[in-house]
Amino acid sequence: MAKAVVRKPKKKLNPLKAAKITVIDYKDTALLRKFISDRGKIRARRVTGVTVQEQRAIARAVKNAREMALLPYSSSAR
Amino acid sequence: MRQYELMIILDPEVEERTVAPSLDKYLTVIKTTGGTVDKVDIWGKRRLAYDIQKKSEGIYAVVDFTASSDTAKELDRQLGLNEVVLRTKVMRADAK
Repeated sequence: MAKAVVRKPKKKLNPLKAAKITVIDYKDTALLRKFISDRGKIRARRVTGVTVQEQRAIARAVKNAREMALLPYSSSAR
Repeated sequence: MRQYELMIILDPEVEERTVAPSLDKYLTVIKTTGGTVDKVDIWGKRRLAYDIQKKSEGIYAVVDFTASSDTAKELDRQLGLNEVVLRTKVMRADAK
């Protein structure tokens, strides 16, 4: 019988707390680019490691930035 | 009265030095209705992440202003009618 493997997920460091960022602004594209993939998709929270509230603020900011053509809706790499 | 933040994308074919005066002209609604323009920040020409009206560049400007909600709505409407304006976004300054 194989032993059930208990995976301990590695706790992600909160990148926003590390950088001491409190306000998420849609104009700050350099910051927002860290939270989108190469194809322009918003990265999941389990990848980014931010809090629920921050993730929501990031998603909203990315969507606002997309409306103003600061970030792409999709960058077709393929 | 509330504080708002307006971001505007202008046609890149507009002469860059005429941007500030023409922007002033668009913002006259704010002053005539008793609001104030607190800050005007012209970013200049910037590449768009995707084409808007077949244009790949745009002149960005960010304006902070204080006005009533009706004024903000009217300003957005007037800018939308302007052909030089590619896109606008009016946001409450506290809703970040």
